[in-house]
Amino acid sequence: MEAVIDVQGVEKMYRRRVHALRGVDLRVGSGEIFGLLGPNGAGKSTLVKVLLTVIRATKCQGTLLGSKVGDKSVLSQVGYLPEHHNFPKYLTSRQLLRHFGAMSGVQRAQRNRKADELLEVVGMKEWANAKLGSYSKGMRQRVGLAQALMNDPKLVILDEPTDGVDPIGRKDIREVLIRLKDEGRTVFLNSHLLSELEMVCDRVAIMVHGLVRQQGTIEELTDGQSGFAVRAMEPISEEVRNTVVARMGGVESVHTNDPNELVFATSDADVAQPVIDALRANGVIIRQFGFRRPSLEELFVKAVQEHPDGARPGAQRKGARS
Amino acid sequence: MILMQTKALFIDAYRELNAKKLFWISIVLSALLVVLFASIGYDEDGVSFLWMNVSFLPFRPSIVSREFFYLEILFSGIGIRFWLTWVITILALVSTAGVIPDLIASGTIETTLSKPISRTRLFLTKYCTGLMFVALQVGAFSIGSFLAIGIRGGVWEPNLFLAIPIVLALFSFLFSVSATIGMITRAAMPALLITCLLWAVIFLMNIADASLLMFKVNSEILVEQREARIVEITENTTRLIRSERNREEPGSGDGYEPSMEEIETRNQFLPQIVEGLEDDREDLRQLTFWHNLIFTVKTVLPKTVETKDLLSKHLVDPSLYPERERNQVEEPEDPNTFVIDQAETEKRMQEEMRGRSLLWVLGTSFLFEGVLVLFCLWRFNRRDF
Repeated sequence: MEAVIDVQGVEKMYRRRVHALRGVDLRVGSGEIFGLLGPNGAGKSTLVKVLLTVIRATKCQGTLLGSKVGDKSVLSQVGYLPEHHNFPKYLTSRQLLRHFGAMSGVQRAQRNRKADELLEVVGMKEWANAKLGSYSKGMRQRVGLAQALMNDPKLVILDEPTDGVDPIGRKDIREVLIRLKDEGRTVFLNSHLLSELEMVCDRVAIMVHGLVRQQGTIEELTDGQSGFAVRAMEPISEEVRNTVVARMGGVESVHTNDPNELVFATSDADVAQPVIDALRANGVIIRQFGFRRPSLEELFVKAVQEHPDGARPGAQRKGARS
Repeated sequence: MILMQTKALFIDAYRELNAKKLFWISIVLSALLVVLFASIGYDEDGVSFLWMNVSFLPFRPSIVSREFFYLEILFSGIGIRFWLTWVITILALVSTAGVIPDLIASGTIETTLSKPISRTRLFLTKYCTGLMFVALQVGAFSIGSFLAIGIRGGVWEPNLFLAIPIVLALFSFLFSVSATIGMITRAAMPALLITCLLWAVIFLMNIADASLLMFKVNSEILVEQREARIVEITENTTRLIRSERNREEPGSGDGYEPSMEEIETRNQFLPQIVEGLEDDREDLRQLTFWHNLIFTVKTVLPKTVETKDLLSKHLVDPSLYPERERNQVEEPEDPNTFVIDQAETEKRMQEEMRGRSLLWVLGTSFLFEGVLVLFCLWRFNRRDF
């Protein structure tokens, strides 16, 4: 698959003290919806801003839509919705869209047509002539999304696109994203809402403290972590666990934080049957049994917790552990 | 694409102005001032307002020409010196102090920088849009005044439109300060306050310049008068000594050159005048030093007053300026007393002020602005947002 974003070793150091990015390698293929996850201060927005020339990287190699990162001309093919955008309140949504269309180099007739078209797509047509100052946060977010699509971009970068949007709005935005993918565009999402990402993303990357810790499809990331799970009514003692694991010989147990749960890395239901017998033999009452794949949230939490400072928000300071 | 983006930024700036009440209040007040100009007549009887004669005002065509009255007194004096370069400039500074802080505000700059426009071009275009408030105000006011003065006063002077670049240049000097502070602090209030502070400093420097120049010119005149008096007394006393010698012994006084001591013994005032001359020369040296110092400081600052005065210089023919009558200075009885004619002082001051070149007035001011704009560009290009 042709790479739309292909960067290696991206570093950003602020004032020679704060290491926001510590050698990020990332590859986003054409036509996919890619999700970038990470705790606060992981460097997600910094990475996006580096790609969009809003921030200058300390070190960066790679390309954006085939051009060297930092090449301004390629930005005419990129649409961007920043996280905490603050569009001028004196403009109407139609004026805003036309303005940013012109800034992206869209011809007058096309931007007039496109603005109306996009306002309809994001459900804001009726508000086209109302000033942004009178909009709710969700409405501004919808207009912001439309703004990012004014130039028919090949790559759309959205930073927390569903922030402040109600459930109906979120669904609408998801539909827009899927539509963009169907049109062959690449969507790069930065979001904290893991369930949202899970629903639409083809591939994800998890960033922790300025480094991409994991990258791939959700299946790839959960490989070796999914399996048959047995859930008991009460916590399973360590002794029983060891007995059961010993009886399973060859099938690895998967680590889980839930004391009531026991997971084995197998997709074969037959292989998992002896677990039930062993547990019942040890007096454990089984509540649930079935195949289970970890959610994106679990993957995320695991990736963050595996990092020594994972739970601590903020970028890495120079000299701190990596 | 460059043209399209520039146009988009200017349209956006206009919409922002359009949304500000202050802009429209200023336009309405400017329109009222133009209506006021159109209401003022000037004929043989003097000044009239609408249908009322206000002959108590000391203006008559025999003293002040029609052109001078309309162009210098009304347009340049009230319209430019007071209205545009004070009131409108202050309103414009208030309105535009947020231009650069708004540009680089978090939430705004990310979207703008993600567009295919270089930071240098983005900043320079935004900087120019910041001048639009004053450009529109002074443009509308000049057109209105041109028509009002032409129709009402019969004076059609196209040079009146020089007000547009002159006022714009003056405002741009101050706006460069506002933009720089806005770029550093990312806030409109410090930008406005520091710009006003610098403007006040420039104002004080101008007062210091004018005051010191006046003292210096007075001192020069005094030194000249003393020198002339010394020469006069020396010559008179020499003639007297020669005639006395010729009376005592005919022919012995011809070509006789008395010594200074001899002259001083014969004229009791001369030693005092010579002593006073040394003091006056010392005063002149001191005043010249301080005036040069102020002048040097002014050289690196924007020249707001001098820029403003450029309009009068080009708008009104110097021959139209009413002649100021010279005071009849009576010769004092005491030869050590000197009287300075203030008309002479003013004349010399005017000559020195008007002698300041365009390069000094505008060149150094634009250099000041250029340095600040370059600093802003450097900072804007290096900064992460």
